Amino acid sequence: MKWLKRLLRVREGAMTSELVLRPGEFGLGKIPSRLKPVATTSSICGFCSTGCSLKIHLNEKGEAINLSADPNYPVNLGMACPKGWEALTPLHAADRATQPMLRNADGILEPVDWNTAMGAFVKNFQGIQARHGKAAISFLGTGQIVTEEMALLGALAKFGMGMLHIDSNTRQCMATSHVAYKQSFGFDAPPFTYQDFEESDALIFVGSNPCIAHPIMWQRVMMNRRNPEIIVVDPRRTETAMAATLHVPLRPKSDLVLLYGLAHLLIARSAINRAFIEKHCTGFDAFAEFVKKFPLERTVRETGLPASTIERVVEIIATRQRVSFWWTMGVNQGHESTRTAQALINLALMTGQIGRPGTGANSITGQCNAMGSRLFGNATSLLGGYDFANPDDRAHVAKILAIDESRIPSQGSWAYDQILDGIDRGDIRGLWVIATNTAHSWINQGRFADLRKKLDFLVVQDMYGSTETARMADLVLPAAGWGEKDGIMINSERRLGVVRKVSRAPGQALSDFAIFKLIAEAWGCGDMFRAWSSPAATFEILKKLSQGRPFDFSGIRDHAHIDERRGIQWPYTEADEARFRMKNDEGRMTNAGARSDVEAQREGSTSSDQSLGSGTISAEADQNRRLFSDGKFFTSDQRAKFYFDEPRSAPELADEKYPFVLLTGRGSSAQWHTGTRTNKSDVLRKLAPRSLYVEVNPADAEGLHFRSGQKVFVRSRRGQVTAAVTITTAVQPGQLFLPMHFDVVNTLTLPVFDPHSRQPSYKACAVSISAK
Amino acid sequence: MFTEEAETISSPHSPEPTRTLIDDYLAEQQRLQTPVRRFSDAHDQQILSERNQQWRELIPLSEPGLGEQYAFEVDLDRCTGCKACVAGCHSLNGLEEEETWRDVGLVLGGTRSHPFQQTVTTACHHCADPACMNGCPVLAYEKDPRTGIVRHLDDQCIGCQYCVLKCPYDVPKYSERLGIVRKCDMCQSRLAVGEPPACAQACPTQAIRIVNVRVETPEGKLIERSNDFLESAPAADYTKPTTRFVTRRTWPDNVEAADANMLRRQPAHWPLVFMLTFAPMAVGCFVFIAALPIPGFSAAITGLTAALVGLTASIFHLGQPLRAWRVFLGLRRSWLSREAVIFAGWFGLAALFTLERILARASINAHLFPGAIWIKFAIETAHRHDSAFAATVAAIGAIGLFCSAMIYVDTNRPFWKATQTFPRFFGTGAVLACSAFFALSPNFHYALGLIAAVLIKLGVETRCFRVLDEENDEPSPERMTALVLSGPLRRLTATRYLTAVAVMMTTGAVLAMPVSPYARWLIFAVALFSEGLERSLFFRAVFAPKMPGVVST
Repeated sequence: MKWLKRLLRVREGAMTSELVLRPGEFGLGKIPSRLKPVATTSSICGFCSTGCSLKIHLNEKGEAINLSADPNYPVNLGMACPKGWEALTPLHAADRATQPMLRNADGILEPVDWNTAMGAFVKNFQGIQARHGKAAISFLGTGQIVTEEMALLGALAKFGMGMLHIDSNTRQCMATSHVAYKQSFGFDAPPFTYQDFEESDALIFVGSNPCIAHPIMWQRVMMNRRNPEIIVVDPRRTETAMAATLHVPLRPKSDLVLLYGLAHLLIARSAINRAFIEKHCTGFDAFAEFVKKFPLERTVRETGLPASTIERVVEIIATRQRVSFWWTMGVNQGHESTRTAQALINLALMTGQIGRPGTGANSITGQCNAMGSRLFGNATSLLGGYDFANPDDRAHVAKILAIDESRIPSQGSWAYDQILDGIDRGDIRGLWVIATNTAHSWINQGRFADLRKKLDFLVVQDMYGSTETARMADLVLPAAGWGEKDGIMINSERRLGVVRKVSRAPGQALSDFAIFKLIAEAWGCGDMFRAWSSPAATFEILKKLSQGRPFDFSGIRDHAHIDERRGIQWPYTEADEARFRMKNDEGRMTNAGARSDVEAQREGSTSSDQSLGSGTISAEADQNRRLFSDGKFFTSDQRAKFYFDEPRSAPELADEKYPFVLLTGRGSSAQWHTGTRTNKSDVLRKLAPRSLYVEVNPADAEGLHFRSGQKVFVRSRRGQVTAAVTITTAVQPGQLFLPMHFDVVNTLTLPVFDPHSRQPSYKACAVSISAK
Repeated sequence: MFTEEAETISSPHSPEPTRTLIDDYLAEQQRLQTPVRRFSDAHDQQILSERNQQWRELIPLSEPGLGEQYAFEVDLDRCTGCKACVAGCHSLNGLEEEETWRDVGLVLGGTRSHPFQQTVTTACHHCADPACMNGCPVLAYEKDPRTGIVRHLDDQCIGCQYCVLKCPYDVPKYSERLGIVRKCDMCQSRLAVGEPPACAQACPTQAIRIVNVRVETPEGKLIERSNDFLESAPAADYTKPTTRFVTRRTWPDNVEAADANMLRRQPAHWPLVFMLTFAPMAVGCFVFIAALPIPGFSAAITGLTAALVGLTASIFHLGQPLRAWRVFLGLRRSWLSREAVIFAGWFGLAALFTLERILARASINAHLFPGAIWIKFAIETAHRHDSAFAATVAAIGAIGLFCSAMIYVDTNRPFWKATQTFPRFFGTGAVLACSAFFALSPNFHYALGLIAAVLIKLGVETRCFRVLDEENDEPSPERMTALVLSGPLRRLTATRYLTAVAVMMTTGAVLAMPVSPYARWLIFAVALFSEGLERSLFFRAVFAPKMPGVVST
């Protein structure tokens, strides 16, 4: 009878076994038996700046066959967001660029070999330089390649090729934090460690939606056992606002007024740390005088918030022991973003909420290697965060690189928008775009197509030949992507992590590093970069450049060292390493594990100080380090400085013709920026909205007789898009929201820039909406 | 874990031709380091034991007790829409590139002073009364008596996709490559060794865990579930889903899934459209043969041909037709199983009947070959009882068609309720049988029957649009069907109406003036097209219930 049962009810067979799970070993738990690895390795994720470690599952040939979130990494503790889980998928997309493509006489991009491509690159760019001067070529780079590549690119472009104006897409995300920190702290130094999310009594998120944008950081907030207040300052009722204990739905772009108003109220109730201010800050008295102009009535009037909400925020800041301030693009992408970020820094400084666990003025922004780009991009500041204008700095860098000092220009670069203006004026005739998608992502997108016509030669270096920008190029250079090359990236909490080659690049695609080296040779400046023979060799140069700098990581031996320590946060000097070894040996003797320390902290112990500057870095605490615990900043007088300015109203207000304020931002955790990579994953596409939608408040929808799902036009003075209506109370009446990932959204946005950081103000412009 | 191979990007110290360097770089780009196992077991063990610590909070301490089963519990206050659960499930279960067993949707609502949105992660609810299992014709689903996990037997599945229609939560997913459906099994093999399901492991905020829930009363009766499932999700009374959505927030009254108003077209299922156009026609033919009655064999051949086309078409609907012989297994619960078994038998009977009609006219020489006398006897006997035979064929065919209709009625989808499905299916039988017979012989009664049947059908179909006149514009299933028919499918809907009216008018015209039989066959062809179109709209316009989804899909 058994055979009959088996015949009638088939429980085993080829299809059943496709899904059978078996123990995966390597600490993996069960995994599909057909995807069982023979080894695993780890690699830092190449999407956002959280910097999660992904455990890559390898077959016997060393090829990645699957991945899972790394349980043994202090950043992500075994978790990843969908982009991380799908990180390998975009590598196998059909539209990968597999060979160089050169536009022929008929205007068609046709495949050529690398030799021809290099010839065309050099001939055209050198030709432009001969006709219009060295500075007539320029590049727009990225925060998405490894640090060694960024440094080589910056050095090659400026010292080798003689470019003057270069910038990267980090201008769109990090520039504001960079400038704000640099001015206030004396160096671009985000002070926090992710552990602070767990250690805080009050977390104040401004223009930040970590639930969607940084889910793995939100994980840490959810692990906070201190029953924290979570304040979300955002015009939208975002996912994070839903999870907050207090949502502060201010008017768009009234954040600076709110923050000054809070400062005023805090000073008025003496909820400030006078001792800290006097010892470690300059400029407070002027600031205190200045914010007197922001009494509660004004703040209420200009932010549209009820007085009770503002008072509640003040109460929380004044009474909770550990208060931390966090900001993301809502702050960074504004017309007065640097001062807004500094208003947050000011709040932290005046309340002394910095340098202790669970405190800080903390920027959670950026691409996977935004910080690598900030330190080694060689754009506004000289390689290694030095100053182009300072002759000593130039001499120092020239000496380390063993190049002629005269090769180093004495001025910084134009910013992204100024480079585009330079193209418009005809000052720049040749452009090289690396791993970014300007034609989609830059503000007031329509303009780039016109600028393209003014360029004599456009080179695009990308994983895909299909990006909006690559399709416009004269020469496309096929690049290997994340997972196809080695190097280090630096995350938001200053942690250096290693990226590994675990997959073969398709066709003739080469790592950006190899491409830069080829260009150096073809350009005729190969000799200058002999020492930059590999990413590992380049890392040695970067270590030398870091020596004595705030970010000094010369105590790191090599890539393997970073890996052993599960990432290393800067600064990390040789003294730090020696201290670590000593403590570690002691630790072994007393049998105290890293685990117990972390546990102790989670239970609320305040005894452990893992902060830097105090001179007591414990070995256990080595994985979570923060800056400024001794109150010493990187300014020349070691004091943090208060910066402030009179707020200006948003540059384009709603009016009769364009009665709505358009907000833009991240729409889902499954999409990354312009979707160049995330659109290549079926799963991520499935998790994201398929077409452009616009969020409309029910009151507005009713007034305009919109149905949910109806197609409408959204128009600004610069363009028009079609979107499907989503009726939701998440946006306030009079406001609309569009997710930035769809290519047309930036035809609407207003090209206005913060005067200090030159970061574009994507977040607010005036639009109208009407039925299609 | 790698051999410490030194980086070997070549760096020429003398200026070599660029060519060689390119080759070196291209070769280097293709070189991967070979993995060497260097992880000590102890290290693995440490990670695993640390994880086990965390994992213990995500699964129940004990197996389900009497009247209990495992269920997902989703803490909505911790679900913030990162969707790691979906991607984690996908990777850790090795699903196909586009296959997902979990989904994260969005619920919207609230007021200006209390704005509200909520993300909702959802997978198979491992229902107490699983509709997928109850509908499966081959028993490819089973509910584990111990854990309550609803498991799909992949090698048993015939790929009929009836479970896809039956499940109100859009859980079973059809794979073109495999020709079967697959679905979440709550990672039962992980649970068996104390490991949480992939989704629960992957959730950064621990919003998903497994709990034991009570599904039966002490007397062994299923506990009714109605309002305690999830606002904005399909009602729980049909299948009694076991997932518990918990929250400490108060939800506003006006919540709605973010995709509630999206007009979604469903697949046409062409083989089913053919089957459910021709099979009713065949049944209609044999019913008329028995009822009117119609002598001779041409009507029977017409009916049999339609049956052959219809039943053949149905095979093309199956992803794994070779496994379909097991279709009788589900007779106790599945209308699909009943339909298949009855129609298969009926086809044989109808073929014999047709044979009888053909051979009745021939005189068989009883001595032609050995045994011929028995055939002659059988045919004569059958012929003597021809009307009873015809009635049997008609009755069994009608029962088969009844089962066909019940397949759809039993899905609980309002568009497919009995008052729609029965008139449509039996109406198609009447329309096509009448128009075929009218083509065979220009009988006044057939023409009138045809016109009446088309009119009645149009009346039934038009009722679907009445919901649009109502004040209430809530996105009810009925309303969404009407909006799809009059929106994205409006051209097909219009064509359906135009062709149906054309059939009626030309039939009337043909009655008034004698024309060639070809014109009458043309009417049949148009009627066939029109009915097929109606059947495709039956599938395409149905509102398929699902859990809340994301906007603009």
